[in-house]
Amino acid sequence: MGLVRRKRTHCSNKELHHRYKTKRRTKDLDQVQEDLRPGNRERLLAMPVDEDLPGLGQHYCIECAAHYIDKTALARHRRGREHRRRLRDLKEPAYTQKEAEAAVGLTTDTGRGGGQRPAGPQSLLSLKRKNDAARQPPAMEIE
Amino acid sequence: MRLEKCYFCSSTAYPGHGTMFVRNDGKTFRFCRSKCHKNFKMKRNPRKVRWTKAFRKAAGKEMAIDSTFEFEKRRNVPVRYDRNLMSTTIKAMKRVQEIRARRERAFYKQRMAGNKERERELDVREIQNSIHLVSTPAVKAKEVQKAAETPKQMELD
Repeated sequence: MGLVRRKRTHCSNKELHHRYKTKRRTKDLDQVQEDLRPGNRERLLAMPVDEDLPGLGQHYCIECAAHYIDKTALARHRRGREHRRRLRDLKEPAYTQKEAEAAVGLTTDTGRGGGQRPAGPQSLLSLKRKNDAARQPPAMEIE
Repeated sequence: MRLEKCYFCSSTAYPGHGTMFVRNDGKTFRFCRSKCHKNFKMKRNPRKVRWTKAFRKAAGKEMAIDSTFEFEKRRNVPVRYDRNLMSTTIKAMKRVQEIRARRERAFYKQRMAGNKERERELDVREIQNSIHLVSTPAVKAKEVQKAAETPKQMELD
C-alpha cells in the first residue's frame, strides 16, 4: 500500500489534502515505467533549461519523477529510503484496468484461449485437496 | 448502457454513479464511489489494499479458477439477434449464477474448515501458558488469609 500515514490524517490537515488534489498529481507508476524505457530515458535526462523548475530542470530523478536543485541533492535523494522504496514498487508491472476486470472474472475471449490467470491455489477442487491432505496424516497415525 | 468496472475495487459502476478521472495523458480511470477515488488519489496500490477484489483474488480469499467463469467474456464478435438464442442465454445466465453461488459457498466453507479446532487449540495453549494471571477463588482466599495474618504478627512484635 505504499507509505501509509498514521498521524495527522484528519480533515483539519489542509497540507495533506492539498497534496492529494488531482490538480497537482504526480506521475503514476505506469507513467514512470514508460519513462524508464530506453528512448524516453535519454530524452528526459537531456532536457533543455527550464527556469520554472527546481535547478533549471537539470537534475531529474526519473523513478520518482522529481526535480532537484543540484547534483548533491539528487545524489542524497538517490541514497534515501523513499527512492529505494520507489525502485521496489517499480519492479512489478503497474496495475491496470485489465487487471481490475480480471479480478471479477471479466476477460476477453479472442478464440485462442489461455487468458491471464491469477496466481495461487484458488479453485474449489485444489482447496479441497489441500484440506483433505492436511487432514490425512493424523488418521494414519491412529491406525 | 455500459456497466464499467471500478479501477480500484473492481465492482460495477452503474450509469450515473461514481466518478471518472481523466489523467493529463488522456488515460481514463473509473471509480464506483468516492472511497475508491480517494484511495486512488492517495496513490495506493489496489493489489495491496485488502478490501479490493484484486487483493482478495490474488490472496486466495475467493474462488478464482472455475468453469463458471468461462461464460462471461468480452468476445468482440458480433452475434446476429436471435430470439431463441436470447431466451436460452438468459436462462443459462441464471443457472450459471446459481451454480457459481453454490460453489462459492462451498469454497468459503473449505477455506474456513478447521478454524474452530485451531482457535480452540490456541485458546487452550494461552490458558496453559498464562494461568498464573488468573486468580481462582481458592487462591484469592489464601491471599486474604495471608494478608490478615501479617498485621497480627506485627502487633505481636
